[in-house]
Amino acid sequence: MPLLKIEQLSKRYGTDKYALDTIDFTVDTGEFVAIIGPSGAGKSTLLRCINHMIPMTNGDVWFNDTSTKALSAHKLRTHRTQIGMIFQHYNLVNRLSVIENVLHGRLGYKSTVAGVMGWYSDAEKAQAVEILQNLGLSEQMYKRCDQLSGGQKQRVGIARALIQNPKLLLCDEPIASLDPSAAKIIMDTLKDINQRLGITIIVNLHQVDVAMRYAQRIIGINSGKIICDAPPHTLNPSIIHEVYGSEAGELILDFGEQNAQA
Amino acid sequence: MQSTPKIILRPWNTATVILRITIISLIVITGYAFTTFNTRGVDFWAGVDMLGSNFQALLLSPQLKNITVAVMVHDLFITIGLGFLTTIFGAAIALGFALLAAQNLSPRWLTVIIKGITAFVRAVPTVLWVLIFAVSAGLGSVAAVLGMTFHSAGYLIKAYSESFEEIDHGTIEALKASGANWWQIVFQAVLPSSATALLSWTFLRFEINFSTAIAMGAAAGAGGIGYDMFMASGYYLNLHEMGAFTYAVLAFAIVLEAGATRYKASLRK
Repeated sequence: MPLLKIEQLSKRYGTDKYALDTIDFTVDTGEFVAIIGPSGAGKSTLLRCINHMIPMTNGDVWFNDTSTKALSAHKLRTHRTQIGMIFQHYNLVNRLSVIENVLHGRLGYKSTVAGVMGWYSDAEKAQAVEILQNLGLSEQMYKRCDQLSGGQKQRVGIARALIQNPKLLLCDEPIASLDPSAAKIIMDTLKDINQRLGITIIVNLHQVDVAMRYAQRIIGINSGKIICDAPPHTLNPSIIHEVYGSEAGELILDFGEQNAQA
Repeated sequence: MQSTPKIILRPWNTATVILRITIISLIVITGYAFTTFNTRGVDFWAGVDMLGSNFQALLLSPQLKNITVAVMVHDLFITIGLGFLTTIFGAAIALGFALLAAQNLSPRWLTVIIKGITAFVRAVPTVLWVLIFAVSAGLGSVAAVLGMTFHSAGYLIKAYSESFEEIDHGTIEALKASGANWWQIVFQAVLPSSATALLSWTFLRFEINFSTAIAMGAAAGAGGIGYDMFMASGYYLNLHEMGAFTYAVLAFAIVLEAGATRYKASLRK
């Protein structure tokens, strides 16, 4: 039984052309999936349809064997607590401390009053401390988030997603604003989460080489349609060019290195 | 040698033509007004001289005559209290409605309705609101509190809701994606992110309300130092006493400004 099943999913903004056009795929528990494609291909829309941040136009998303097409507000909250999300611009509350931001991941489980007042249980606080320790952020715990570097902010974002105890982690361009070394730390962290905690990961990426190196499976999207869906070692430059709608020689691709490592 | 065409720096277009016509008409009107004043036989320079001696009496020799210093300080605090109370009331009302008026937190139809109503409330001046409430409450402190609260709320709803709209959309999205509900997002992300902006606006409105409270003391009989000033000027015709009140108000305004600046600096850290 797959963890996630996308069925005939379409999304249309107003009367524009379809941002997503009858997408079909399934993701099993424990997979590490990368989605690549040019800007505006529908990668972000696809991720946000999975947790209903954007309502879908047609089709259905099955998660954990339940249809999520018509969820009540309460069920939708429960659905979202199962899915962690991290973002290109981290999306932290800059004026609050690191640990407060991490604990925000628990809000979906809390009553309105407890969430509003910021009442967290000792177990939740202990878990937050432990996650921060694992991500190497113990010393930054009480720092305000606007004092952190980009890489540290993204790790706080990951911590906030992890404390949800999610089954699935959606990552929307997690390394697009980071320098190469911070980007490597983030990707290694995601890989580690995937392997050690068995959390399924779907990550949108701009960097084809990063996708090739980390993902078990690559889905290429162009104009809202799936162009390819295969493990990285079966991909070749002509498929990648088809995904990006480009001619040979127009992309910075280094298959030699990738193959050497594979 | 061939002559090059003149390079025009400001080409004539509708905007510059209108601007120049406006400036020229203003100059003409000002000149005309100055030459045709009805001076009622008062010599211009004698008038300037009298103005000078009045200011001298006002500013250089302030002195209380009809009330004591203790009464003056007491009345000053009544005026401060009026300004403070109306700011707090207005802020409390505004906080709730501003959340409903912010486009990133509420449905569009609701924001349009609330913003429309507050625009109307703000378009009517504070003094007029006080007079409108005086119809039912009678001239006095009740009408002043109601009218000033009303206008403060209208002003702060606009200011607060724009502060809410300026916060990063991403943080709201992130909390929503983790399953947080509307109230949790408001208290955990929106208010912490906009706290300094809200405080700045509230302080600014307190300054406005303080000066309005002085005027209301005189115009609406709300009491306080404004009423003392009204009595000193209109009844006793005592400029020295007016001077003392002016300095009392000035002293408080300076204290307020210094306090607000410090508080904001400590928040920004």
